[in-house]
Amino acid sequence: MTTTARTRTRRAPWGAIALFIAPVMLYYALFVLYPIVATFYYSFHTIEPISGKLTATFVGLQNFFALFEDDIFIRSVQNTIIWATAGPIIEMATATTLAFIVYFKTPFHRFYRVAWFAPMLVSGVIVGLVFKWIFNFDWGLVNVALRAIGLNDLALNWLGRRDTPLWVVIFVHYWATFGYSFVLLVAGLSAIPEELIEAARIDGASTIQASLKILLPMLMPTFITVLILSFMGKMRAFHVVWVLTGGGPMHFSETVATYVQKRAFSWSTLDLGYPSAMAVVWFGVVIVGVALINRWLKSRVDY
Amino acid sequence: MSKKTISTLIAVAIFLAVLAACAPAPTPAPTTAPPTAAKPAEPTKAVAAPTSAPAQPTKAAEPTKAAAAPTAKPTDVIFPTPIPGKKVVNWWSHWANEPAKVQVIEQIAKDYEAAHPDVDVVVVWWDKNPLRDAVRNTMTAGKGAPDITTFDTEVVEWVKAGWLVDLEPVLPWQNFNPAAKVDGQYAGIKGNFKFNIGATFNMILYNPEAFQKAGVKVPDNYQFTQDEFVEVVKKCKAAGYSGVANAVGNRAYPARYPVEWGIFNLVGPEQMSKYIKGETSWDTPEVRQVLNWDVELTKAGMWPATFSTMGIDEFHVYFHTQKKSCMLMVPTWYAGRAFKAEKEGGQSPNFKVGMLRYPAMKGAKANDYVYAGWESGYAILTQSQVQDIAKDILKFASQPKYGALWVAVTNSPSAILYEKKDIPKVEGAEQWQWYWDEFNKVYGPLKVATPDVTHCGEFEDAYKTYVNEGIPQGLATVDEAIKGLNAKLCKK
Repeated sequence: MTTTARTRTRRAPWGAIALFIAPVMLYYALFVLYPIVATFYYSFHTIEPISGKLTATFVGLQNFFALFEDDIFIRSVQNTIIWATAGPIIEMATATTLAFIVYFKTPFHRFYRVAWFAPMLVSGVIVGLVFKWIFNFDWGLVNVALRAIGLNDLALNWLGRRDTPLWVVIFVHYWATFGYSFVLLVAGLSAIPEELIEAARIDGASTIQASLKILLPMLMPTFITVLILSFMGKMRAFHVVWVLTGGGPMHFSETVATYVQKRAFSWSTLDLGYPSAMAVVWFGVVIVGVALINRWLKSRVDY
Repeated sequence: MSKKTISTLIAVAIFLAVLAACAPAPTPAPTTAPPTAAKPAEPTKAVAAPTSAPAQPTKAAEPTKAAAAPTAKPTDVIFPTPIPGKKVVNWWSHWANEPAKVQVIEQIAKDYEAAHPDVDVVVVWWDKNPLRDAVRNTMTAGKGAPDITTFDTEVVEWVKAGWLVDLEPVLPWQNFNPAAKVDGQYAGIKGNFKFNIGATFNMILYNPEAFQKAGVKVPDNYQFTQDEFVEVVKKCKAAGYSGVANAVGNRAYPARYPVEWGIFNLVGPEQMSKYIKGETSWDTPEVRQVLNWDVELTKAGMWPATFSTMGIDEFHVYFHTQKKSCMLMVPTWYAGRAFKAEKEGGQSPNFKVGMLRYPAMKGAKANDYVYAGWESGYAILTQSQVQDIAKDILKFASQPKYGALWVAVTNSPSAILYEKKDIPKVEGAEQWQWYWDEFNKVYGPLKVATPDVTHCGEFEDAYKTYVNEGIPQGLATVDEAIKGLNAKLCKK
């Protein structure tokens, strides 16, 4: 029997497509695209009120050149890069380990799933405030505990030294956010077919061998995504630092985000152009960082 | 019920418990309070003629028997709703945690409303830093700013931006201390932008009991030399106290006082003004003398252990209630924070502090001066749609009776001139009489200077970084501080 195939070209229903995506595109244009474009525009200007009116004066690349002479900006870049390097390493190591613990259904794994995600539910401001008390030199939990076990020399002024405030911030932020990476990695592990593990077990592989040789490689795409998210999060983290140390003392825990905030909204100058230039430069740095991570790690995805 | 269902229910219960436990506290912490608004205060009690008046602030106040603030009641924290049909004036004010000052401002608002039934004055109470940020952001955005706002002289950028209404033709300047008028003027800018209600005198308070335990004897002239002052701090430290309670958790200035007052004492108010404004190099022998002294004080144990995190409310309590420091370096707005109910963070009326004059620096030129200034005041924003009414309100507030009310209720000097007959009798005034007696005894004979200390933007940050944070915490040397400050001097 023969059939006559009647080819029927279907036209895409552009009207319906436009109708469905219009709200999201409008939101994206107004609240994402427009601020980015505006920031780029401002970065080439001085934006300040003159005689009560906000006035933009074109200054070319002057704002960008000034960044290289701004020692506070340079320090904030150093601090943020240290954070964005150390933070994801600690976070991914912890989150991956805990994800495996939950995946292999160790006793109380359901409780752990909730408990380790719980810090994510707490507002960053509250986390900052609570840990400010915990690290209080006089009566904070950390120093009280250290003194109680005779380690008085380790009871430091955690938030008031040169060397410790940044690491306190890194630790507190890690505590508050590792649950997010953990949950994503658990989801990634859950998506891996269990038959692979069963097959490995039948072939005599131990749990550790199965984890390292099968699960981890299979988890790589998720791992890379979570790592990038973690990296981006550290590069623009704000609220925990702001509440915990305010970037102090003496800018020793200053990050780019807090410095932009100060220059834009708290400094005794009202110019918005200079902090916009900072934001533009940092935007570029984050994109380059993400691209490098992607390129470096994607080549290692192999299954 | 299956094991799985039970486990799920337990997990949900724990999840809800965690959520509930992590909910933010309903009452904002004093130092980071969101904007709050208060109902109009109760009218001040009794209007019997006062027996004597606190002195005018042209010289150090010398009340013979000053009225004093009662233990002020907290105002209700509710957001007032403008009354429909009335012209609304929005007034954003600092001092959310100072019930005595709240009482005075609310009284002014209430009296104005009584005199002008078609006007509704909506006062919203803030802490200073969030208020400044909110005004800055609303003025930049072009909407949402209040009509009247707290304004401090150092926020010169608001003046340069053209955000403030000129009050020169508005206020009855003859009602004010002449120096208070100068406070609102800026070189090169025509006009006067600040309504001042309160004056400040900088004091060193001490805990007599702590001094006794530490074996410190106060000289007859209430003034230690700079070296003796270091010894005092060492003795306090040995006795288990910090030298002072000052801390920098949420303010950019409490640790500057030894340097600022030291420079004031050493070189006099005019030269001191140039240093503090960032108009001249800090690499001079006088500045080095003071900064080196500051380093000595730090090493001697001047600052509390919680220096970097303790906020302004906390360090008041640290001094007057926890009694963990010998001294507190503080302007006369101390009374606004301390003379309130103990459960609200105030001190006991029975804690009778002593006062000291500033340490005498070697070669000092201004040993017989007290360093005075002005409290936060008010300004009218150009965004206001009811500028005429706002001007009228500040003009109304300039009456002598409100200067007297300020002194009587807040126990702080006033920028508005008044007469004895204007002072209302305030319930509970006698309990703070000792404070006035001590103030008059120690600072009364001194001359008063009010140097201009308005910084420019980058110098302000450098000053905070090195003088308020760096040297007191041993994080910066004198050379580093001088280098850092000189790098950010104000460009003319």
